[in-house]
Amino acid sequence: MKSLLIGAVAAALLHITPTVILVKRQDAVAHLLPGADQFAARELHLSSADSKQLHDAVGWEPPDGVVTFYVGKHQDRVTGALIFMRVDCQHGPLELAIGFGPQGTIRGVEVTKATVEMKPWVLEALRAGLTDSYRGLTNDQAPAGAAKVKPQIGAMPGYMAELIDKGVMHGAAAYRLFFNRG
Amino acid sequence: MLYDLRHSDLRVRWLVTLLLATLGTSYLFGAWMVGLYAGFSTTKVAETYGAAGEAMMMQMPPETTMVTERPVSMAEMGEEQHHVDINLLVQDTHVHMPMYAVIAAVLSVIVLGLAVSRGVGLAIIALLFAAPWLDFAGMWLTKLVAPGFAIVTLAGGWAMALGYTIVAALATYQMWWRKT
Repeated sequence: MKSLLIGAVAAALLHITPTVILVKRQDAVAHLLPGADQFAARELHLSSADSKQLHDAVGWEPPDGVVTFYVGKHQDRVTGALIFMRVDCQHGPLELAIGFGPQGTIRGVEVTKATVEMKPWVLEALRAGLTDSYRGLTNDQAPAGAAKVKPQIGAMPGYMAELIDKGVMHGAAAYRLFFNRG
Repeated sequence: MLYDLRHSDLRVRWLVTLLLATLGTSYLFGAWMVGLYAGFSTTKVAETYGAAGEAMMMQMPPETTMVTERPVSMAEMGEEQHHVDINLLVQDTHVHMPMYAVIAAVLSVIVLGLAVSRGVGLAIIALLFAAPWLDFAGMWLTKLVAPGFAIVTLAGGWAMALGYTIVAALATYQMWWRKT
C-alpha cells in the first residue's frame, strides 16, 4: 500500500509521460524467433517457494505471479523462446523482449516500449551498441552492457542502460530457473 | 428554481454552453477510451475488472508451480489484455471519484437553473450522482464478488451518458430557444 501511494504521488508530481512503442511486439517476435512458424505461450504460475527463489536470485519476482514465455517452433522443433519483461523506474516503464536460442543462450534483446521522456535516452544507449553485448550470453552470465556503453553516452542514457541490464538479468534468471519445468 | 438560466446574463449562458461542450467532448473521448481498454459488453468488463485467471493466481499462489502451454498466433503475442488489478482499482477510484463528484456537482448547479419541477430536478441530480457510484460499485463488485456485477458498471456508464444528455439538451434548449 505504501509503495502504491508513493507511486501515485510520484506519478502526479513527476507527470510520467505517455508510453511509446519503439518496436512492435510482432516485429520483435519475428527478429528474435527467426524461422519459427508455430508459437506457443508457456505460462508458469509460480508457487510461493519459486517466487522466493527468483527473488533471492535477482531481487525481482513477477507481480502477478505469472511468467510467460513464448516458444517458437518449426516442424514441431523448438527454435527458441522469448519473454517480455517490464522494468519500472520513476520516469515510467520500459518493456524489453528477450530472445533465447534453443540452447538457452540469449539470441537478442529489443526495447519494445518506453515513455516519451525516456525514448531519446534509450535510443542513445541503443545507438552506442548496448544490446550487442547481450548476444550469446548464457543465461547464468550477468549482463554488463551498461558498463560497456557508459563511457560513450550521457548520464540518463547510462541509467537507461542499467535498467535494461536489470531487465535482461531478470528475464535470464526466469529462463534459467523455470523454462524447462514441466 | 434558485436561478433561471433562461433569463440569465448572456455571459452565464455562454459559460454554461462552453462548459457543456467541453464536458461533452471529454465524455466522447471517455467512451472511446472505455472501448479501447474495457469494452462495452459485460464479458469484456468482467475480463478487465474480474478476479478470474491470472489475477486469481496472484491472490492464491499454487502450492507447486503450474505450467500450461497453449498455441498462440503472432497476432495474439502482440496483444496485451488490459487487466485492472486491485491496486490499480484503488488508485483509479481514488483519482476518479473526486473528479466525478465535481462534474456531477457542476451539472447539478446547471439543473438548479432549469425550468423543471422540484421532483424532476431531484431525480436528475440523483441520476448525476448515482452514475459514478454505480460505475465504481460495479467495478469493485465484479472484482470481489462475481463477474456478473459487470452489468452495474455498464449501467453506471450509461447513466452518466444519460444524465449529461438530459442536462445538456434541457439547458441548451432553455437558454437559447425557450425564453418563456
